[in-house]
Amino acid sequence: MDPLIYVLDLVVFIGIFSIVSLSLNLEFGFTGLANFGKVAFFLVGAYTYALLSKAGLPFYLCLIAGASTSAIIGFLVSLPTLKLREDYLAIVVLTFGEVLRLILKSERWLAGGVWGIAVSPAIPIAGASARVDTLINVGLVYFCLVICFVVVQLTTNSPYGRVIRAIREDELAAETLGKDRAKYRGQVLALGSAIAGIAGGLYAQYIRFIDPYMFMPMLTFTVWIMVILGGPANNWGALLGAVLVMLFDRGTNMAKDYLTLPIDPINLQYILFGVLIIAVLLYRPQGLLKESRIKTKAIEMIRHARNAPKDKRS
Amino acid sequence: MQETLLRIKEVSKHFGGVWAVSGVSLTIKSGSIWGLIGPNGSGKTTLFNTVAGLHRPDAGDIYFNGTRINNLNPHQIYTLGLVNTFQIPRLFPRLSVLDNMLVAARGHQGDKFFNNLFLRKSWQAQEGELAEKAMEILELLELDHLASSPAGELSGGQRKLLEIGRGVMASPTLLLLDEPAAGVNPKLARRIFERIEDLREKKGLSYFIIEHRLELLFDFASWVYVMDKGRVVVEGRPAEVAENPTFYQVYLGE
Repeated sequence: MDPLIYVLDLVVFIGIFSIVSLSLNLEFGFTGLANFGKVAFFLVGAYTYALLSKAGLPFYLCLIAGASTSAIIGFLVSLPTLKLREDYLAIVVLTFGEVLRLILKSERWLAGGVWGIAVSPAIPIAGASARVDTLINVGLVYFCLVICFVVVQLTTNSPYGRVIRAIREDELAAETLGKDRAKYRGQVLALGSAIAGIAGGLYAQYIRFIDPYMFMPMLTFTVWIMVILGGPANNWGALLGAVLVMLFDRGTNMAKDYLTLPIDPINLQYILFGVLIIAVLLYRPQGLLKESRIKTKAIEMIRHARNAPKDKRS
Repeated sequence: MQETLLRIKEVSKHFGGVWAVSGVSLTIKSGSIWGLIGPNGSGKTTLFNTVAGLHRPDAGDIYFNGTRINNLNPHQIYTLGLVNTFQIPRLFPRLSVLDNMLVAARGHQGDKFFNNLFLRKSWQAQEGELAEKAMEILELLELDHLASSPAGELSGGQRKLLEIGRGVMASPTLLLLDEPAAGVNPKLARRIFERIEDLREKKGLSYFIIEHRLELLFDFASWVYVMDKGRVVVEGRPAEVAENPTFYQVYLGE
């Protein structure tokens, strides 16, 4: 197999999962919402993309529609739990993801059931080689990643980011200080789901085929490891986590071809993921990168004004 | 002319079989400091939390500026201008002291999702003004040198001060303070009360304060309510209350 394609493929996967990792970081890292159903919104994005592109819509409309559908569903699913404590949200979305997957699996008329559904690539070029094809995907995925990163960064490093972090720290205190926690949680879940939906659409058109088995709950936990490892409430950490976990994933996949082990290599990968997450939580619970501080112009000015006289003295 | 700000009518609240507050009626008017005292467990904090929307009253009505606020959520009550603070400070420990203050700011355009993303110019100027205001308040509370430290690193007394600071930052019409001078050294406690009095004069702020340090409260309050076993048993000017035998009996145990 062409080694360049292998590397480019890895780059595409890192890009797609960086987007998902960013969206979970927005929800969990910044707002404290334990979204254990991340895969559901990834799935919604993927299936929306698949069905609409089959109906003949151009790829960008399919991506936008996937993001919107995912956002609406994210908001709706969270409604009954918005006023409850966040652990209920975790249970509801976890179940929702599995229910949605099982519906798609058994309702064959909807999207092919267990047979899955073929998806056409976003930007097909007649007669293009596999290398060119993968390169186009690198461009498309990283274009989307940059947009998502900028949006999430602007959302979290700002007064709005301050409010959602306050809700994470103490939602009752935030509520007493005039912040409608239900509204903020709903908005964050809608935005997070939209971003996950974009990643789902990119995934579907890159793989060119999706079936319900691609959206197992394990995928959610892989993304959780990315966020916890990289550093919750730090967007660069979410990217770093995605890179490391994808490399680890590929690394163990490759190693299994060269090692003869007494256990199933796939299970070995799960075991290693488990060990990794326990090690991170024990020895570096804040993740590799620390929480990013809020830096607005006003705050920077005050910090400079305060530090200037001190520097002169020393 | 003093206007009625808060009117509590026959309000009761029970937890299981315990009536924490039973049939309390009282009135708070604008422009003064109003005190609430009583032995531990007499229902003072429960009354505050019920007024602030953290509990729903089981009976009775609460009016703020003529609006019935019984069934409103805490953030809606904040919007009307009534702000509560907590007896045990509930800060945002991983946010900086300055960020803690800015969360409390009223009407920050950057707090809204779309304004935050698409109208960045408009909120950046406002953020500058609010940060200045926050620093002024922090200076008065002697917390300004800690502005960029995480609130979780503050000492117990400093946490208390920041909790009050956030309340003032919210520019309320009426601020509920639950034992502002508890756990603070006597000199600073007096300074806090002087500061409260200052803001009352300059900004027309009104306060409703629970406090066990009577020497302070009686100096600054213009009217004091005494609660015992969920009821208001005595009320009056501090000098009158100090002379009242019932007050002695329930509060000082003499």
